Amino acid sequence: MIKASDVAKGTFILINNQPHVCVEREYVNPGKGSAFVRLKLKNIKTGSVLRQTNKVQDNLEDVSVEYKEVQFLYADAESYAFMDTKTYEQFSIPSEGEEEKRDFLKDGENYQVVFWEQTPIDIKLPTKMVFTVSEAERAERGDTVSGATKVITCETGLKVKVPLFIKTGDRILVNTETREYQERVNN
Amino acid sequence: MTDAGLRGRLESHARFASEIRGYFTARGYVEVETPTLSPFLIPEPAIEVFQTEYLGPGGHPRDLWLIPSPELWMKRLVGRGSGNIFQISRSFRNGDVGSPLHNPEFRLLEWYTVGSGYVESIDVLEGLFSHLLSSGWEKRTRQLSPPFHRLTMNEAFQRYAGFDLAGCQDVEDLVRAARRAGVRMPEESTWEEAFHIAFLTSVEPALPRDAPLVLLDYPSLVPTTARRAAAGPWAQRWELFVDGVEIANCYTEETDTEALTALLREEGERKKASRVQHAVDDGLAAAFPRGFPTVSGTALGVDRLEMVFSGEKSLEGVILFPFSDIVP
Repeated sequence: MIKASDVAKGTFILINNQPHVCVEREYVNPGKGSAFVRLKLKNIKTGSVLRQTNKVQDNLEDVSVEYKEVQFLYADAESYAFMDTKTYEQFSIPSEGEEEKRDFLKDGENYQVVFWEQTPIDIKLPTKMVFTVSEAERAERGDTVSGATKVITCETGLKVKVPLFIKTGDRILVNTETREYQERVNN
Repeated sequence: MTDAGLRGRLESHARFASEIRGYFTARGYVEVETPTLSPFLIPEPAIEVFQTEYLGPGGHPRDLWLIPSPELWMKRLVGRGSGNIFQISRSFRNGDVGSPLHNPEFRLLEWYTVGSGYVESIDVLEGLFSHLLSSGWEKRTRQLSPPFHRLTMNEAFQRYAGFDLAGCQDVEDLVRAARRAGVRMPEESTWEEAFHIAFLTSVEPALPRDAPLVLLDYPSLVPTTARRAAAGPWAQRWELFVDGVEIANCYTEETDTEALTALLREEGERKKASRVQHAVDDGLAAAFPRGFPTVSGTALGVDRLEMVFSGEKSLEGVILFPFSDIVP
């Protein structure tokens, strides 16, 4: 069991025997009466979304899931292909509804994938990842206004707003939740 | 490196509060200051509070609590004949943060108008919005200009949940109607919990956002210090929503000692389920002398108001040191 107040984005819970992942979680306290969490939950098998409101002290049924270390191989039109790093077994995860993750999947990089009853259900991204800048315009000479930025492209196609001194070939740290530039990484 | 925009932001932030003060002062409200450290509080089961300790004479410790709102002190002033008063106070609410709309320490504006009910207070708030829009916060004029939309809670349920709340005064009826409307309801709940679950799931997310919205006449079964309406199962209470964000809460205040005593007793019982316990204010029930005129009280989240007037989506945009930054 898991307390409704402990459910976070990415938590897996069971509803009517169907595994759901929490995609949005909002704490609501009307001030008078009780406090609540408003959840948006996605059914992992069907992709259908449901909304429900729980009292913060409600108990929900959590799902026991397994995390496996896998290597990203490639993406095709409908899915992402991975390989289990222990068994070398290959499998794919449908990309529908998870298109925004494409920008963070690097060929040959290892990721954590969540399995429920032998089925891969979710790709976990590290909060911060290093990317290499593949395309960057050169900063205009003399442009020294503090806080000025430009948009660059990384090896996965990810576009990030960065300070003007970043150039092609630089390695940068990016927050995968906010898609924001964090800092330049020294080689 | 210095922050080039900082000075401007500080000036704008300071002026927002001073424009609010100027508005109320010009209308005859006296600004007051009341304690933030209190030896007792009004029991509010949904609100966790902060407890602290006073090292009194001889080192004898006394429990004290930080106020979740200045209501208990301001009502005492009103009951003693202060006339119209207002205050922007620091208020404190413990528990869950993790939300762009909550900061444990925040600014609460409260104002009390003697001889006036809850509906008249909407005019006062519309006046404040007009004043702020004409004082330099005119960028969002289209979404923030009065008149506000007005909708009763029953109309909102009819419109967005598809059932009549007035006809659901038993918890079983309410749960059945909500389930028919597609809301996932728990097996067991009180009427108040069932109401809030239905409201938060199907009504509140659907409320119109093109202009500020006043939602009037909350169910009297939600326990508050609002006076009951003359007819129907409603309380003389409204809340203001701007762009889906709850900004203000207003009552025609209950001034009857017996009714307040009963409320404080019941809420004191329910408060026992809270994590942080506190001494209960037993002076509030008798704050108003018998026959005291009608009085309305409004509480408004100043940080949230500044957020919507600045076009920000998170309190972090208007709070200089957000809690999540200083207590990571």
